[in-house]
Amino acid sequence: MMRVLEGSHAVAEAVRLARVQVVSAYPITPQTHIVEILSDYCAAGGMDARFLRVESEHSCLAALIGAQSAGARTFTATSSQGLALMHELLHWSAGARLPIVMAEVNRALGPGWNIWSDQTDSLAQRDTGWIQLYCEDGQEVLDTTLQAFRLAERVNLPVMVVLDAFYLSHTHEPVDVPGQEAVDRFLPPYSPRFRLDTKEPFALSPLVPPSAYMEMRRDIARAMEEARVRFRDVEAEFDAVFGRRYGPVEAVRCEDAEIILVASGTVTSTARLLLEELRSKGEKAGLLKIRMFRPFPAEDVRRALGRAKKAAVIDRNVSFGAGGIFAQEIRAALCNMPDRPQVFGFIAGLGGRDVTTAVLEDIYLQTKNGDVPPGESVWVGLQEVSHATGRA
Amino acid sequence: MTAEMIPRALIMPRTHETTESNKTGSWRFLRPRYENKTSPCSAACPAGEDIAMIEMLAGRGLFKEAWETILLENPLPGTCGRVCFHPCEGVCNRKDFDASVAVHGVERFLADAAARNDLKPVLEKLPRRPHRVAVVGSGPAGLSAAWFLGLLGYGCDVYEALPEAGGVLRWGIPEYRLPSPVLNVEIARIESGGARILRGRPVTMESLDGLRKDYSAVFLGCGLSRGAPLRMSGEAPDAVTDGLVFLRNVRGGQPPPCDGLSAVIGGGNTAVDIARTVVRLGGKSAILYRRRREDMPAFQDEVSMALEEGVELHQLLAPEAIRPLGRRYGLVLKRMRVEGRDRDGRGRVVPTGETTEMEVERVFTATGAEAAQPWHRPPSGRGSGISLSHCVLVSEDGANPLVYGGDPVNETKNVTQAIASGKQAAMALDTFFHEGMEAVEARLAECRVGGGPALSMEIYMGGPRRLRSSHVVQPGEINTDYFRFGARMTQPRLLVEERIDSFDEIDLRVSAGTSIREAERCFNCGLCNQCDNCYVFCPDVAVRRGRDMNDRRIDYDYCKGCGLCAAECPRNAVTLEKEDAP
Amino acid sequence: MQPDGRSREWMCSGHVGCAGCGAAVAMRFFLKAMGEKTILVVPACCWSVIAGPYPQSALKVPVIHAAFETGGATASGVRAALDMRGDTETTVVTWAGDGGTFDIGFQALSGAVERNENFIYVCYDNEAYMNTGIQRSSSTPYGAWTTTTPGRDWKKMRKKNIVEALVAHRIPYAATASIAYPEDLIRKAEKARSMKGSRFLHIFASCPTGWRIPSEMSVKIARMAVQTNIFPLYEVEDGVRYTINYRPKEYLVREYFRLQGRFRHLKEEDLDQIQGMVDEDWRLLLRKAGGGA
Repeated sequence: MMRVLEGSHAVAEAVRLARVQVVSAYPITPQTHIVEILSDYCAAGGMDARFLRVESEHSCLAALIGAQSAGARTFTATSSQGLALMHELLHWSAGARLPIVMAEVNRALGPGWNIWSDQTDSLAQRDTGWIQLYCEDGQEVLDTTLQAFRLAERVNLPVMVVLDAFYLSHTHEPVDVPGQEAVDRFLPPYSPRFRLDTKEPFALSPLVPPSAYMEMRRDIARAMEEARVRFRDVEAEFDAVFGRRYGPVEAVRCEDAEIILVASGTVTSTARLLLEELRSKGEKAGLLKIRMFRPFPAEDVRRALGRAKKAAVIDRNVSFGAGGIFAQEIRAALCNMPDRPQVFGFIAGLGGRDVTTAVLEDIYLQTKNGDVPPGESVWVGLQEVSHATGRA
Repeated sequence: MTAEMIPRALIMPRTHETTESNKTGSWRFLRPRYENKTSPCSAACPAGEDIAMIEMLAGRGLFKEAWETILLENPLPGTCGRVCFHPCEGVCNRKDFDASVAVHGVERFLADAAARNDLKPVLEKLPRRPHRVAVVGSGPAGLSAAWFLGLLGYGCDVYEALPEAGGVLRWGIPEYRLPSPVLNVEIARIESGGARILRGRPVTMESLDGLRKDYSAVFLGCGLSRGAPLRMSGEAPDAVTDGLVFLRNVRGGQPPPCDGLSAVIGGGNTAVDIARTVVRLGGKSAILYRRRREDMPAFQDEVSMALEEGVELHQLLAPEAIRPLGRRYGLVLKRMRVEGRDRDGRGRVVPTGETTEMEVERVFTATGAEAAQPWHRPPSGRGSGISLSHCVLVSEDGANPLVYGGDPVNETKNVTQAIASGKQAAMALDTFFHEGMEAVEARLAECRVGGGPALSMEIYMGGPRRLRSSHVVQPGEINTDYFRFGARMTQPRLLVEERIDSFDEIDLRVSAGTSIREAERCFNCGLCNQCDNCYVFCPDVAVRRGRDMNDRRIDYDYCKGCGLCAAECPRNAVTLEKEDAP
Repeated sequence: MQPDGRSREWMCSGHVGCAGCGAAVAMRFFLKAMGEKTILVVPACCWSVIAGPYPQSALKVPVIHAAFETGGATASGVRAALDMRGDTETTVVTWAGDGGTFDIGFQALSGAVERNENFIYVCYDNEAYMNTGIQRSSSTPYGAWTTTTPGRDWKKMRKKNIVEALVAHRIPYAATASIAYPEDLIRKAEKARSMKGSRFLHIFASCPTGWRIPSEMSVKIARMAVQTNIFPLYEVEDGVRYTINYRPKEYLVREYFRLQGRFRHLKEEDLDQIQGMVDEDWRLLLRKAGGGA
């Protein structure tokens, strides 16, 4: 059924339809609407689940680790500081092979307090073993959340569904909300591969000595590898029921492009507009949307960018000392290709600063006019700040 | 690509076996071991009774088993439960906690309960042996010898000069302390053990030679049946009577007249018995003792009761002379005073020079006993024989041995020591018959309870008691955290008015409940009583219990030697030793 | 002292607890009271290691080992899942050390109790971060040496009163227990098991290694702690009804302190002061229990 929903609400609908059994969340702007709507559902009876109103994000993920281990399908949502607080347990969830699904609202990390869109928070967790999927619009958010449960439970790895603060979480868009019966066809009830059971007592997550630990880590890596394949299966199954699919990347007009813009999240929508403009002006431009960040779709990236001369990567994030993170990953994906495109990295839009078509055009032109990428990443859209006073 | 891959097992941190493959016993440097030890009471008991075990069984209501445990070491519990001086209670580890266990009272209860229910003991006996042994005298030494020889497989004939058996038990101890029915049951038990008691069959020095030829050995338990004469001038045979003769006549049913004041010279149990007997016969009595009350060898309890019954006690007086005084007599007494101590710790007395005279109806002497015949005593000087702690074994030129036991041999002269004599003699003879004289001392030494001198027949016969360590449990080795204060039972008695009216037994019957509660007060020093503390507190689940209540073992595969079992054992029944100890 | 028929063992031999480990004794007693339908949540503590390294487990009930701070939260989640699966019989128990209860785990515990989560939280208290090598916790008693309060810097803060902190939450049931009083411990565990809502047991579990006492003294020291009123045995229901279970003869604390290496440095005046503190705390407890000082 078509409804006009903000991104948060779309997430909540998906969680309800996925028959999640245990939800735990701690409020943090701009995730709060997700939490409030789910609270409402649980209280009003629209959702048959236990809602644990824990006292911090760390406890939130701990509770879900407990719940998932005991055999329930679980969900949480967080952002920024909350995600950072969960860091230890993000590692733990993946190491414990628990298919927890989380909606992560990309928000800047303090100090100073900044509640607006920024990807650094989720990307800073890229080593934790969570699958990461970056969404562009409301429909994609709902669909990806449903897909996330199916994928997670297939490979026994947790999945993070990422959406931009405010630009996606609080923007109302038309969204096709499927019916329960259709979702049930796509997503069967949770059947855990292991769970705490008094009839078969064992210990989970005990002390593991050097002689055994590495194989377990290898198994996580292998699951990540398998996730690439499984994701295709999941999308195919989803397509069969709902008639939509997205892919780990989306390549727009890349076949004959000389310069390809690489974007993720809501910036992608803006980039699509610019692409139209550029093409209409005769520019051989292309756009590569990165949707799946972990596992990194290196093969798809190589296929999309392989014939281009240059790639202009837009990072709404930064890894201090190494530049934009998408840019690094793309460089790494391309590094062994002969005739690989030059990668120009750009950092824009941190802390919710708007990334307009003008900003993107600037990026395109810098790339076009640059012979060699000047360092890791170029910061665009900065204001003038006095070096003497530190103020604008 | 969309084919459903067969899910393979996750390699993840999840356990799939227990820690039981981890043999933590390799950590140990100390190792615990169940080791029953010797309780101080059993070491102090001249008969070496397994008192901790007796109390344990009695506390569980297993009266027959407790009684049989006594009989294995002492055939006369009804007697000892009345007349023994209970050294066990004096060393009881509970003494300083609240009060010693009333072992004496529990023993009496067990004996009386067995008699009341006409129980027949089931004791292991060794196979019949071809030797027959003659026992001279049916006092406690002789009865004991006959009993233990019976257990060891020997037939005995007990020659008793008097018409009734019992010796000093019958003739020397008044009824109000040891009633005849009780004694009769005890003697009947000895007879049902196989011994033949021949009453009214005195033995002379001449007939002794015959016995030596007819029997493989002769045990002499003739006791000291003649009172020591009093050294004072003017002895008047009508005035002065041997106290032992007096007691014998009373028991024989022919009490002499006791009106007026009777003086009793002496300070032992005999003196007290005489004095109290006189009171019951309607007379008055005064004990005259040369030392002080605290120096009296008599049981203090008996002395107290005597005083309650109106017996007078005059201390520090020694007889000097006696003279007629009309129809009565004047007893001249030296006043004594204490000057220092004797070797045995009692006050040494010397005359002050003063005298006093007491007008009395008659005098009874009880200043000691002597052998009625010289041959009742062992020969002095070294013969070919051995002197053990409680008997003397004489065998010259391969002739059949003579064994002397009881008061003539024992340094401390009392019933329980006499019983110890009989037991020791039986063991000595059995060893002699099997292995010869040279083996006797060593063999008997193996049977010592806690280092001796008491011996255990159970150990001699190879029972489980032989596995006990001879270490005597000290009070500091008891973990008193596990015991609550509990009052010692009070022995109900006749009122004084009721006592002096008759020769009825003073101590009244004690109930089974009281006896159980009292027996439960016993710490069971050194003896595992299955309290399960070791099992409860083991952090490694390394103490395993079997179905049988007594089956408890340590699983050394896992025991880390932490020692908690030993520390929390309330009664030191677990020994901790170095891991590589043999 | 018969454990009367609770002969089934839920803990295996072969675990790697130190010789004489009080925490092992505590677990053994506790599980005898809980039985088969129990799931343990074990945040980082000695028992994370005692339970045995992969692939072994020393326990015959399911265990989920958890991150240090998460005892209260993980249990909340396990409970929620069991409820959603329709399992009303299994008891969820957090089994944590003093570190994971008093300090790093306090937030999660407080949060869970405030929500009145339906679980039992057991803190076995060895009075320091023993697993990581005897560092001080807020449960370490006044006067103790630890590796982070060494020498003259011995701990001069009082032991945090965790039971009273939870009583302030109006927790349905909170009680202290000791490995030296097995029947009391088991009774309280069984009582807790029969209830719903948040329940807390604070078990005194001696540590020979960390307290510098011989291994065979574990139980004796625990008993002395109770007998000296240093660790009173009591229960509080609904945060208001206090019941003192045992009124000992009030032995002087001196003997307790003298027997432990971790208190060896204390002087006479320190011990006098500590006696005063113990007496004060005991009088306070008596007042709460309705008996005057």
